[in-house]
Amino acid sequence: MIGLLNDFDWQRWRLVLIGGTIIGILVICALFAPWVAPYSPYDLDVVEMLQPPSAAHPLGTDELGRDLLSRTIYAARISMEVAFIAASVGLVFGTVIGIVAAYFGGFVDLVLMRFMELLFSFPAILLAVVLMASLGTSILNAMIAIGIVFIPGFARLSRAATEVVLREQYVESARAIGMSHRRIIFVEILPNILAPLLVEAAVAFSYAILLESALSFLGLGAQPPEASWGNMLNTGRGFMAQAPWLSIVPGAAIFLSVLGFNLIGDGLRDVLDPHMKE
Amino acid sequence: MSAEMIQLKNVGKVFGQRRIFGGSTEFAAVADVSLKVARGQTLGIVGESGSGKSTLLRMVLNLIHPTSGSIHIDGQNIAALTGRNEKAFRRKVQPIFQNPASSFNPRQSIGAILRAPLKVHGIGTPDSRRDRVSTLLERVGLPAEFADRHPHQLSGGQKQRVAIARAIILEPQIVLADEPTSALDVSVQAQVLELFRQTREEMGLTSIFVSHNLAVIRQVSDTVAVMRLGRIVETGTVDEIFANPKHEYTQALIAAVPDHGTIMAQT
Repeated sequence: MIGLLNDFDWQRWRLVLIGGTIIGILVICALFAPWVAPYSPYDLDVVEMLQPPSAAHPLGTDELGRDLLSRTIYAARISMEVAFIAASVGLVFGTVIGIVAAYFGGFVDLVLMRFMELLFSFPAILLAVVLMASLGTSILNAMIAIGIVFIPGFARLSRAATEVVLREQYVESARAIGMSHRRIIFVEILPNILAPLLVEAAVAFSYAILLESALSFLGLGAQPPEASWGNMLNTGRGFMAQAPWLSIVPGAAIFLSVLGFNLIGDGLRDVLDPHMKE
Repeated sequence: MSAEMIQLKNVGKVFGQRRIFGGSTEFAAVADVSLKVARGQTLGIVGESGSGKSTLLRMVLNLIHPTSGSIHIDGQNIAALTGRNEKAFRRKVQPIFQNPASSFNPRQSIGAILRAPLKVHGIGTPDSRRDRVSTLLERVGLPAEFADRHPHQLSGGQKQRVAIARAIILEPQIVLADEPTSALDVSVQAQVLELFRQTREEMGLTSIFVSHNLAVIRQVSDTVAVMRLGRIVETGTVDEIFANPKHEYTQALIAAVPDHGTIMAQT
């Protein structure tokens, strides 16, 4: 055990560890919100409204007297959930589309990738808004919409990575022993293109948090009274002069989570990059 | 049972496509190749890089399809293979590829790599497959414990031994080798070639051995085909080709071997 700790290359994993710590704290807060939060996120207290940070309310209260710390913690649940589901949707569908396009090539490749480019050609937020408008406003639809926004990125990445692996002779060997396409894709190709996809997934997490906040800010994501960093920011907008903490607190939460995921992404890229190995 | 195990008739392969803009990008990698390999014989195909040797081999492996001509293996046209017939063909014909560094999935152990062909063809139980892999590793001169290693832990020569093991685990009748020794040190080359020869004789394999190295071709082949720019320029038995090369390209190839004196002297 001691040996294991000594062998661990802290320097190499530095960024991943810092990012992981930030995200770890956020995830724990999100998972154990009812125990971590000092108040219910929905308890109104008109007497206490728009209070600055104090001993009773460490981060102050909002325009309806709700405890801001509690709301921020509960909002972390939504953000993490959206980030996780949306990134997973993008990762799974995008990866499969990319591998299939590269592997079968020709007409399949043409059709799939032109469709991906069609999705890619819209600005992400616009595409998400259009999808939300057609799917209806709810947090589940926000996850799906953000997931769809991610699909083309993952598809392009996995297609490029698959093209590289397809040139390796072990794929030809697999075909020569009569292995099925499905087995070749899952056993020979997928494990060998996973590294760049994981890095992309970490970046997608941070981007999903931003997009969810943007959608909720626009009133398309989480619906009041449910707390989300985006709709909290929207509320804070109206009280910028009297109660700046209403904007600063959810803003800081978004900043920290995006920073955390980006650190993990950057760190993983360095760790997994074979050229960085000494 | 026909005497010819492998028969190619006027085989051609054109790569590229006609484009809507910018005209045609077509390129004939192989043109009008006709060859025969008798059962139990080894045909050596020699030629420089880009002469279409590897493309030819991939067509015989049915990994890519010829754009013209036909290929018969054991009397059967391989273009018509489907389903069960194709599986039987895969079992009958196995490759050994050139580059030991990229021949194996880096994420899998040698054992898993060698068990895969058995698994795909539903041969044996997990235990019997394990045993068979151990036996086979020893047969190609490697310790059975290598089953637990990963490809990057093996040297080039060891990897090519594993490649030979993978090629024969399904007990094929035909082994197609694409420059299996060209990435190896000369001393290791000789050992791997010897293993190839020995295996071929023990199993009575029919084979095609592709190389740009005349000395290697001479060691392993019964007949030789000289390839240039996608065409066969000369065929004959080893002795005919080396003692009395007719085509000027063959003569140039033999003259270009730095130690051709010794090759000639080995006759």
